Amino acid sequence: MGRHEHARNLALLGALGLALGFLPPMLSVYLRSFALFTMMYVVLALSWNIISGFTGYTSFGHVAFYGIGAYACAILVTDYGWPWLPTLAVGALVAAVAAVALGYPVLRLKGPYFAIAMLGAAEGTRVVATVWDGLTHGGLGISLPSAETSLPTYYAMLALMVVTIAVTYAIGHSRFGVRLNAIREDEVAAEALGIDTTLYKLAAFTLSGVFPAVAGGIQAYKVLYIDPPSVFFVQITIAMALMSMLGGKGTVIGPIVGAVILYTVQELTWVNFPTAHLIAYGLFIVLVARFMPRGLVGFAIDRGWARKGMVH
Amino acid sequence: MERSEVRRLYLLAAFLVCAYALPFVVGAWAGTVRFDERWLANLATVVIAGVMQGGVYAMFAVGLTLIFGVMRIINAAHGEMVMLGAYLTWVCFFYLGVDPLLSIVLTLPVAFLFGLAMQKLLLDAVVGQPELTGLLITFGLGLVMIYTVELVFTTDFRTIPYAPGTVQLTSTIAVGQNRVISFVMALVITAAVYVFLQQSRLGKAVRATAVNAEVAMVCGINVRRVYLLTTGLAVALAAAGGALVSIQFGFNPETGVVYTLQAFAIIILGGRGNYVGALIGGLMLAVLENLVSLMVPNGTAMVELASYGLMIFVLLIRPAGLMGLRED
Amino acid sequence: MTITAIRMLPWALVTLLVLGAGAGPAWAHHRPNNEVLIGGAISMTGQYAEPAGRNVNSIKLWVDDVNARGGLLGHKIVLRLLDDKSDTQTAIKLYEKLITDDKVDLVLCPYSSGITEAVSNVTERYKMPLVAYGASASTIWEKGRRYIFNIVAVAEDFQKGAVHLARQIGVKRIAVIGQDSLFPRQSGKGVKDWAKKLGLEVVLDENYPPKQTDFTALLEKIKAAGAEAIFSNSYFADAAAQLRQMRELNLNFKLFSSTVGPALPNFPEQLGATADYILGFSLWEPLPAVLGYTGMKEFIERYEKRYGEKPNYHAGAAYGALQVTEAAVRKAGGFDSEKLRDAMATIDVQTIFGHYKVDARGMNSHEGITFQILRGQRRVVWPEKWAETKAELPMPEWSKR
Repeated sequence: MGRHEHARNLALLGALGLALGFLPPMLSVYLRSFALFTMMYVVLALSWNIISGFTGYTSFGHVAFYGIGAYACAILVTDYGWPWLPTLAVGALVAAVAAVALGYPVLRLKGPYFAIAMLGAAEGTRVVATVWDGLTHGGLGISLPSAETSLPTYYAMLALMVVTIAVTYAIGHSRFGVRLNAIREDEVAAEALGIDTTLYKLAAFTLSGVFPAVAGGIQAYKVLYIDPPSVFFVQITIAMALMSMLGGKGTVIGPIVGAVILYTVQELTWVNFPTAHLIAYGLFIVLVARFMPRGLVGFAIDRGWARKGMVH
Repeated sequence: MERSEVRRLYLLAAFLVCAYALPFVVGAWAGTVRFDERWLANLATVVIAGVMQGGVYAMFAVGLTLIFGVMRIINAAHGEMVMLGAYLTWVCFFYLGVDPLLSIVLTLPVAFLFGLAMQKLLLDAVVGQPELTGLLITFGLGLVMIYTVELVFTTDFRTIPYAPGTVQLTSTIAVGQNRVISFVMALVITAAVYVFLQQSRLGKAVRATAVNAEVAMVCGINVRRVYLLTTGLAVALAAAGGALVSIQFGFNPETGVVYTLQAFAIIILGGRGNYVGALIGGLMLAVLENLVSLMVPNGTAMVELASYGLMIFVLLIRPAGLMGLRED
Repeated sequence: MTITAIRMLPWALVTLLVLGAGAGPAWAHHRPNNEVLIGGAISMTGQYAEPAGRNVNSIKLWVDDVNARGGLLGHKIVLRLLDDKSDTQTAIKLYEKLITDDKVDLVLCPYSSGITEAVSNVTERYKMPLVAYGASASTIWEKGRRYIFNIVAVAEDFQKGAVHLARQIGVKRIAVIGQDSLFPRQSGKGVKDWAKKLGLEVVLDENYPPKQTDFTALLEKIKAAGAEAIFSNSYFADAAAQLRQMRELNLNFKLFSSTVGPALPNFPEQLGATADYILGFSLWEPLPAVLGYTGMKEFIERYEKRYGEKPNYHAGAAYGALQVTEAAVRKAGGFDSEKLRDAMATIDVQTIFGHYKVDARGMNSHEGITFQILRGQRRVVWPEKWAETKAELPMPEWSKR
């Protein structure tokens, strides 16, 4: 990949950002919401991909970071009167600390055990949020004071998405990414080659936790009401994993494509088939997992439509 | 065993002792613990109820550990199998007037067949793939099951009024009739399956495949058939668990989700693929949950924390759990 | 691959969005000028389906009644009800959609304090006034909201009668348990406040997760704490489980009082004799001779004719609130949100549910009824002005029934 190609990709990303930036006035409020959530899922899928796609450690509890960010924003805005934007930074910081504290012991586990441990951690965080009601209002949830329009959250999410794509791209085309891939392919060999696997895993894990936390904070300010079951919802982790898998785990484009497609399909089925949409969603998950475990990008590579590189 | 292994086991044992002591300590500090006759009777009731409950928990955990042990697949829809069993029992009871315990005779074969179908259609393609594929595919299946049942039966809670009376063990300790019956049935069923796994040729084939599938194949075992049998058996056990649960508690399409997570915690505690481990794990978890609920202030809300906490700490100390083999 | 894919991506995204935008208007409803669209998300599935279903019965009955009289200010009412699955986030999304995409003229209230609290953020933002009938937690009205009003009594008073009755029979120590969500917490707070006022000691105060089914340890804990009476702030399934397990464990208490559950028709049916002697609370009962609200008798007859059962308090509250809405629309002369809002805030009206006149926060002062289930029937036992019979308390022991 030459300098020219990188510059061109960066410009394309910038163009995308601008295009989406000019969109809001043309859209109804409902569609603006839809766009915001699509972008949010792009962020989530890309983040999950950093630890589970690049590094190969399947996290089944990533929603914990999302929930932490949501609660950081909600608590600071509602109970302490903070302005909204700085709370996102706090959420990111708390998530980073949590990621290091949790990651250090848990990243020692292999494959399915890591996945289950993360699931337990996410559920545990949910229970803590429910029980510690001095801080989080527990099962009552938190109602945030209302903003006049939904535009600021749209732009915040757009900015977050652009940053996340840029970071993922950077990881994918750097030595850091190569080393993460090495850890995924054969950790013992990587260690033997002199890569400090603990440090790299922890770095990847922390990065992958920070973006969902900011996304969670933005979402809290948009939806204006959160409670433990909704922000620590296991289906959000499933969505992240499924989107990455659908698009192509371990690539840069994959999670983006997967997120856009899956979220759109989900929304269309929800609108048109309110009773059966979850059955359709379940079936979709089964079919994708059964027939396309390497995702659309993997499919394209197999057909020779795409060049197999480390990342795309 | 090498020394570090022995050390880990001791550490695990020590941790478990602390975990059990913790509710007592917290309770003593908070004043909910008293050592008089009445309170000890309360404690005994709660422990007995936990043991009874644990027997039933163990029954569905055993199925999960079999699938995990033999195929390395995490069945995220296991709770839904339990739920299926509960609804099948309810249908037999409500529409056919069959006694819930007798209907197990009908429910088990149906569940077994469902397991076979599940294996053939879905899981066969997933064996050997990374754990995410198995998790996702079973999760999707679980969603389909929950919402299809909801479409047919609505989300109303169903109950089966069965043996609502009480069994008075002493003047102050009592236990529900239906709990005792469930516990006895659970013991009978799990013992029968245990004997099958230990003594019969097919059972030994299952155990061999769990240890090492490649070597089993070389020895002439039809591994595909073993997989089919395992899943069928696991689903049947889960459904039986559901039948036993249906006579004790109300259930609706979503009650399975909680059971899945508890089953995960149990099999981690007991050890991957280890049958007896799952039984022990089930008993231990149920009793611990009840102790936490009884003695810790606001304990009932924290019961879930007990199962997740237990699970995470076991994973960190010794991922193979109490009785599992050391990981390859 | 890189170049093609990244080049194609923004176009793909924009295409999708444009398609969506184009499809957008098609999702909204086009209706002839003479109709008015009323919409809401009500729980058709999930743990709130039972009570919410009765709200829906009344809503449909009201729409037909008004249309039969020529509609709302001459406009025919078209109803759009969606299922929020008893889930807060779904409800929020649905209301946003109904208001901004379907462009409803009037919104209906969802069921449960928790969902209403979340949804009221949306209705406030879009300035859609509504009279709530499915929510009772006073905290919803203590946040300075201007567009939401209430017709029912506050959650904190739901167990007021039961606490009074407990004191009457000499109970000194009580246990308060409840589901961990908005309404049960507020109702539980009310129990504690009333207990304090009446000199009863709260020896146990604990919440449990909404999906809890096994209460063995909690019940034993209550017994160990020495409580003589239990005040359960719950919905249907949990209250039922608690009673069944009390019986299985042979735990006897002098009094057991619960919210919501006992007021639903199939509670005594499902539990049979186990439900006898417990206290329940109802915002309203179909007893025109006792309560004497305007138009009650005719409403009860019409409802029973259509649905084959007598209306319960959920049905009554919904119908009453909609009567208020109709009166407010007439007073405002239309659907302008500010005028409608002012009308709802100032109007003074008698409905089949009772009197409606709200205070500065938007809350009505409505009095409810405490009943006891005796031999499968609900009998009013408190307040005394409406009592049909004296409460049979303390509850007899299980072995003596």
